[in-house]
Amino acid sequence: MSFVEFRFLWFFLLLFIVYWTMRDNTARKVWLLLCSYVFYAAWNWKFTFLLLGSTTVDYIVGRMLARCKSRGWRRLWIATSVCANLGVLGFFKYFNFFVSSASGFLAWLGLPTSVSTLNIILPVGISFYTFHSMSYTIDVYRGRQRAISNFADLALFISFFPPLVAGPIVRATTFLPQLVSARKFADVDVRAAVLLFLSGFIKKACIADGVAPIADRYFAHPANFTPRSAWIGVLFYAIQIYCDFSGYTDMAIAAARLLGYQLPNNFRFPYFAQNISDFWRRWHISLSSWLRDYLYIPLGGNRGPRWFVYRNIMITMLLGGLWHGAAWTFVIWGALHGIALLVHREWMRLTASLEWATRAMRWLAWPITVYLVCVAWIFFRAHDLSRAGTILKQFVLFRGSGNEHFHRWMLLVVAALAFIHWLNSRRWFTEPWRQWPAPVFAAAYGCTVAVVLLFVPPHYTPFIYFQF
Amino acid sequence: MGLHAILPFPAIDDGVSQKLRFFAAHKDEFDTLFIGSSRVYFQISPAIFDGVMRESGSPTRSFNFGIGGMFLPESAYVLEQLLTTKPRNLRWVFIEYDELQTKWAFENQTSRRALYWADWKRTSLLLRKLTDVGIDAVWLPSLKKLRDIILCRKGEANRYKQLIFHTAQFERNFVNVARGGDILDYFWGRDISKWDAKYLGAAGDGYIPKTGGMSASQAAAYERALGLAMGTNPPIAFISPYTVEAYRQCAQKVRAIGAKPILLVTPSATQFNIAYGDNNARPPGGVIMTFNNPRAYPNLYRSSARRDREHLTKSGAEEFTRIMAVNFAQLIQAGEVK
Repeated sequence: MSFVEFRFLWFFLLLFIVYWTMRDNTARKVWLLLCSYVFYAAWNWKFTFLLLGSTTVDYIVGRMLARCKSRGWRRLWIATSVCANLGVLGFFKYFNFFVSSASGFLAWLGLPTSVSTLNIILPVGISFYTFHSMSYTIDVYRGRQRAISNFADLALFISFFPPLVAGPIVRATTFLPQLVSARKFADVDVRAAVLLFLSGFIKKACIADGVAPIADRYFAHPANFTPRSAWIGVLFYAIQIYCDFSGYTDMAIAAARLLGYQLPNNFRFPYFAQNISDFWRRWHISLSSWLRDYLYIPLGGNRGPRWFVYRNIMITMLLGGLWHGAAWTFVIWGALHGIALLVHREWMRLTASLEWATRAMRWLAWPITVYLVCVAWIFFRAHDLSRAGTILKQFVLFRGSGNEHFHRWMLLVVAALAFIHWLNSRRWFTEPWRQWPAPVFAAAYGCTVAVVLLFVPPHYTPFIYFQF
Repeated sequence: MGLHAILPFPAIDDGVSQKLRFFAAHKDEFDTLFIGSSRVYFQISPAIFDGVMRESGSPTRSFNFGIGGMFLPESAYVLEQLLTTKPRNLRWVFIEYDELQTKWAFENQTSRRALYWADWKRTSLLLRKLTDVGIDAVWLPSLKKLRDIILCRKGEANRYKQLIFHTAQFERNFVNVARGGDILDYFWGRDISKWDAKYLGAAGDGYIPKTGGMSASQAAAYERALGLAMGTNPPIAFISPYTVEAYRQCAQKVRAIGAKPILLVTPSATQFNIAYGDNNARPPGGVIMTFNNPRAYPNLYRSSARRDREHLTKSGAEEFTRIMAVNFAQLIQAGEVK
């Protein structure tokens, strides 16, 4: 079930009405838990057992961590949780990747190989709920979160349907305290929530799905296209992935808000970032902060000699890339961002005292950042490394022998969407709505929904981050 | 819903809109209409049909409204759209007879072709068929059946997906998904009135002859399969009561404008084991003309007359049209069709 499907509307309406009709907080939580499992089961009910298994392991680990005082035992328990979670993630997501990569490597060495991959279905959202779950046990281990005794609370935290399949990645310390007391409907900013949902729906259903066929067409056979079309294809993909993912996040946050829960923000207009570090403070914030707190800092973070810090950055970004998908293209995507972060750090260090550099960068920083991000998207989206190479040649070197081309006006579409995005960053679209009287708001909202639906394409493209 | 009612007919590919607009503009010129899939589109020549009918003393002016891949329920929806134009002189409507299609190829599920016809009348029949509830006024689905469908048991995974798909298509059609282009076309004044010979044919009668035939190996495989199928008496595939109901509705609409429905089973090698009417099915009414018997029409089933198992070559199509017209003229003369 996806947020842009009509069945989600019926599912949510039923959930919403029953939820707010209940007075008892425990009953509400049980209802939410049940609905969250139904939401997940709509994709494949068999994998709800995996979700339940993951929850059970972390519940037991949490209880044991609370009980054990010995450092050795605590380490053993946290290692159990991390191994169990990463083991499941590794098996479902990375088994075939590692097997085929090892096989390829052995073949490259000239050694005989007889390994075969397994026909494994990747459970939707596994990367997200594994991180939700791990944040709980790690925080309990660190003493930042109290081990909870109520299994249903933990189960609800891990399976809470809005961020379950594509984030934002929620921390136990953010979500579990919200389960303590009953949410009050009076505290819900319904108007802001429904506007956010609509904004997410427009981003996903109208814009991302609207530009997807162009990007798909280009990335399927890049060699057939001219360099100018390569720019259009890559820019359209940059728009698609942002609108797709941030659209999902907006809808997830809005759905949670309508139930009285706050989820962390995941995007802050990342394409307006002034440098690559800034980009990572604006793009998929919940993942970058998760990796920072649970990987980068434990690795040593900014402490120690410079090469040590750079090593930490590269490890974090490489694993961040691999988190996105089991393919070398994702590893390279992570590596490119890692290198860009290192270059940016070095640049900042070397030019800290150079006035001209700061002044020049005031104008150049933004286009350079967007360009680098787009170059990295090539690897993120390309089907394989050879096609990524072809695209890179067209996009960076303006070299290509293809004849097919997209119309020039598509660049105007990019410009128009960028302008709308800029207006949105200035709150042009959301602010006036908040001041209207309720009946006017309701009528305008209804009319807007009717018009928006007219421009939803007939094809549906699944959320890109579902595959992660 | 209000918006749905006032929006223009959507721009649908594969000639649907083109033929519909053409027919609406010339509706009173035709008295005979053929509607169905490519088995009608590429196989019934209105010129030949009209020629034979003229010779038999019952002159007609016919139009071929065949569209590639247009089966029930889409064809029923299109037929209703045609009839809402109120063609004054329409006397006979030949409707291709085939099973109600619940399956849509995955690659076609995202096209507007899979969306525009999904009104409640069509969707409800599909949902009834998928849940096996029968065609009585009250829907009483078997809980066991529903459980099997929802849990994708006993090979019901496809049925579950189809249920979700058709329900979603109805909702999407109901709220006018993807209709923005039609509105923009209207306001930008895009000229949509030009007739495209690609869909209407050289004679402007909707018929497109298809050239080419089978290769020697294809012909051998076809003959072998045909021989086997004719020799082994394959189990009869009864038309479901949902299909019969859909045709009953079509027949009712056709009669409402004063025309006669004639159901047509084309000479397809995949259709010669279908039969209409079993214990549960009510007869849809109207005359049924069948050409799905290779023994009765051997010339239409020989490999030299066929492009593939479904379709005839140009000469095969012409022969089929002639035979059909002769049969139809005989029915008129016998008083079975008035």
